[in-house]
Amino acid sequence: MMSHIVTATIGAVLALAATTGSAGAQQTFPTKPVQLMVAYPAGGSTDIGARIVAAIAEKSLDQPIIVVNKGGAGGQVGWTEFVRQRPDGYYIGFINLPATNTVILDPDRKAIFTEKDFTPIINQVLDPGVIWVRADSPYKTVHDLIDAGKKSPNTIRTATTGILSDDHLAILMTEEAAPGAVFRLVHLEGGAAQFKEIMAGNIDVAFDNVGSIMTRVKSGEVRALAVLDDVRSKFLPDVATMKELGYPTVMSNSTRGIAGPKGMPEPIVSKLRDVLKKAMEDPEHVSKLENQGLAIKIMVGEEYAKYFADTHAKAKKYTEWAKSRPHR
Amino acid sequence: MDTFQHLLAGLTAATSLQNLGFALIGCFLGTLIGVLPGLGPAAGTAILIPLTFTLDPIGALIMLSAIYYGAMYGGTITSVLINVPGEAASVVTCFDGYQMAKQGRGGTALGIAAIGSFVGGIAATVALIVVAPPLARIALSFGPPEFFALMLVGLCLITGLAGQSLLTGLVMAVLGLLIAMVGIDPVRGAPRFTFGIPSLYDGVGFIPVVMGLFGIAEILLTVEAPYRQVIKTKLTSLLPSREEWRRSLGAIARGTGVGFFLGLIPGVGAIIPTFVAYVFEKRLSKTPEQFGHGAIEGVAAPETANNAYANAAMIPLLTLGIPSSPTIAVLMGAFIINGLTPGPFLFKERPDLVWAVIASFMVGNVILLILNLPFVGLWARLLRLPYQYVCVGTLLFCVIGAYSLQQSVFDVGVMIVCGVIGYGLRKIDLPLAPLVLGLILGPFIEKSLRTSLEMSGGDFSIFYTRPICLGLLLATVVVLVGSLLRPPPPEARESNA
Amino acid sequence: MRRGRQLACVCLLGIFAAALVTSLDYSLMDALGPGPGFFPFWLSLIGAALTVAILMQNARSQDIATVDILPNRQAAWQVGGVLIALTAAAALLEPLGFRLTMLLFIAGLLFALGARSPSAILLTALAGSFGVFHVFFYWLKVPLPIGALGL
Repeated sequence: MMSHIVTATIGAVLALAATTGSAGAQQTFPTKPVQLMVAYPAGGSTDIGARIVAAIAEKSLDQPIIVVNKGGAGGQVGWTEFVRQRPDGYYIGFINLPATNTVILDPDRKAIFTEKDFTPIINQVLDPGVIWVRADSPYKTVHDLIDAGKKSPNTIRTATTGILSDDHLAILMTEEAAPGAVFRLVHLEGGAAQFKEIMAGNIDVAFDNVGSIMTRVKSGEVRALAVLDDVRSKFLPDVATMKELGYPTVMSNSTRGIAGPKGMPEPIVSKLRDVLKKAMEDPEHVSKLENQGLAIKIMVGEEYAKYFADTHAKAKKYTEWAKSRPHR
Repeated sequence: MDTFQHLLAGLTAATSLQNLGFALIGCFLGTLIGVLPGLGPAAGTAILIPLTFTLDPIGALIMLSAIYYGAMYGGTITSVLINVPGEAASVVTCFDGYQMAKQGRGGTALGIAAIGSFVGGIAATVALIVVAPPLARIALSFGPPEFFALMLVGLCLITGLAGQSLLTGLVMAVLGLLIAMVGIDPVRGAPRFTFGIPSLYDGVGFIPVVMGLFGIAEILLTVEAPYRQVIKTKLTSLLPSREEWRRSLGAIARGTGVGFFLGLIPGVGAIIPTFVAYVFEKRLSKTPEQFGHGAIEGVAAPETANNAYANAAMIPLLTLGIPSSPTIAVLMGAFIINGLTPGPFLFKERPDLVWAVIASFMVGNVILLILNLPFVGLWARLLRLPYQYVCVGTLLFCVIGAYSLQQSVFDVGVMIVCGVIGYGLRKIDLPLAPLVLGLILGPFIEKSLRTSLEMSGGDFSIFYTRPICLGLLLATVVVLVGSLLRPPPPEARESNA
Repeated sequence: MRRGRQLACVCLLGIFAAALVTSLDYSLMDALGPGPGFFPFWLSLIGAALTVAILMQNARSQDIATVDILPNRQAAWQVGGVLIALTAAAALLEPLGFRLTMLLFIAGLLFALGARSPSAILLTALAGSFGVFHVFFYWLKVPLPIGALGL
């Protein structure tokens, strides 16, 4: 009698399971939840942006979009895992350019993936680089900074948000555009650390992105010297661009977009693209991101693929230089 | 007094029915997150941010803050009941809390933890209100060199954790420091000791390691003696005895102080105050040999410290806009999404908002106490289930916890391996606490040393030309020399630490 | 206890030696100060020295009470069983999926440890596998693995 009960229960359970989670049906995609990977720990800027977009997009997708955090090693852990997934549309993830690029290009990292292992779907945010100092800093303009960098090379303590981050590369671009200027690089972890050290006076100038510092510029606590883009940021309309100031080659930004592993079938890419685009254009998404100072720049298809390739080529040049520079 | 009026206004706002409700939900969710394995306060808070989109800013912030310090308490429950730290900061509570549970005093342990947390939280909030702005400057004076020196002082805590032999304690600490070196190095950004395994690029993973060393190891030891019920003695009263109250009072007071001051220093994290409070208490105790065997101060001190820390760490955020820890950074993100940037500007422009949030901390601490105290008996009763169910339940708990951190089976593997290691170490009586301390401090020490040298351009004089740094370094020397000259008191053999 | 300690010390020495050798591959000093290999090198050295000191101390002292640390046969089987079950569960977690793996794990281990009531075992196994999955995946949005069979 016991064995009957056991058998019956197991049978019922399996039947139930079969109905709740169907495996690989060939009907309209998606038939089960989609996982959206973020290569950074929960709570970071990319993660929050992912959760916002997921919450909105899943309504039109009709299936839950579950944000999965695989943080570590500046994203390398997440992307390594990512490229191994099946390109069936049920596992997509955020790529952060140029972070993804530098991980691939840094020989020490020994990344097992290359730029060809991704199917870009849609870009979400484009956050231009910005140079900023404390409000009472002696550097009132970028020219002040560069002159000082030439006069006393390797003394101005310049913060990045991480080794081989977009800020790191941006500093090198600046040194290239202003020969003779050498900055003393201090690699901190993230924008919050930069803010603290600048306010404490341990750092003289920071290279970061508009999103991280926009609200502080507005409140007057810090001064932005320049935006590293070719158009002015709508969040910092009073801040000149490096192009206007005479350094058009110093262009750096950090983007976040969604991609799939390579080999995704076009119809699925298309479907995801449409759903995500709609979510990103949703006013709630826009307002929540803009509150954080993050400019939405939707890029799809050819445009995104080209952007990826261009960023990769540019990152290659500066990564090589960064690796050979004596004082890192 | 202007501050008083602000506080009153804040309290009125915080105790509106709606905001009380949010605080309640937040405390409840926070405790749940703390209890649930793997899901730490940072991840939990982040996951719940979308929930708050439909709420008004004050309500959202009250709820998220409640989740944050609620999670601090939730982690205690599993530490005491099954020797598994529910979240990183609860590791130290395992040392004595679990021993108390094994002696049938689990309810007392949870009770004193709740009370201590309450006192610590309220005291820290009051201090926040009274002395916030001037104290906040302290946050700014701790740069990388000072931090490095502070971490070195932290290493001296080993002397208080070493148990019967300083030598074994040191070896364990060195091992911990070494294990902490696995992963991408802070110097070049290249992998170190990773043997080509990408999952190791970010290091071995603190939570799987401690879950293994403490939780899994404990299960293995329990399973060894068949048909042994996990709790040997009868469940005694839930309230501490008068003697225990007396001892706890001092511990709570000191724990509050430790947690509060460390909360002002950004980057310290919630674990270090618990270690400091524990060792401090042990050194001052007349019965140090009881630590690690169920000394109630061993629970009261770290629990108070960690809640005082959690509340005090909001000070740099609210007054200067500087987040002290990753979890607070998530909270800051929540502020920003709601259109508010914490900092001196916000304090001036929207005092109603800031004070409502501050007032809600007080309210939240009260709610937490009321929420948790009645359930203490219930939780403790869970242990009276037949040991097979407790063991399997704990294992399930640990597997989910380790996996859900990064959706990685590797972490589960790490946990199992550490379980075996912890089992072995307990068998031959080598202390675990110094190992954990080394694991925590290692990355801090290396990174802050490196960043300091980047700041100075390679000049070591930065360490002795800055007064606070110099002071801390001298303190390290003094403490070390002092410990070597005064031998630690004799200890009993088997201990959980 | 003494043998156990000696064994542990030997293992530790092995770890420290391996770390020492590996750390030599990383640069010890660079332009700014200690390089990636600096701390591991010195830590391994110090650690090895301290371990040797413990060995010497161990050799000299006498154990007051020889604690039998090795479990007896039955206990060893229990411990081994738990470890095997854990490792198997970890290995099968992704291929078979959370629900199925945990169902088998819980039921199997409960039985192996001596639980005898089939309904209690089944109930616990179901709650711990399907129940927990539902809470985590659908309510908390925390992903748990779904395997090849869709479970």
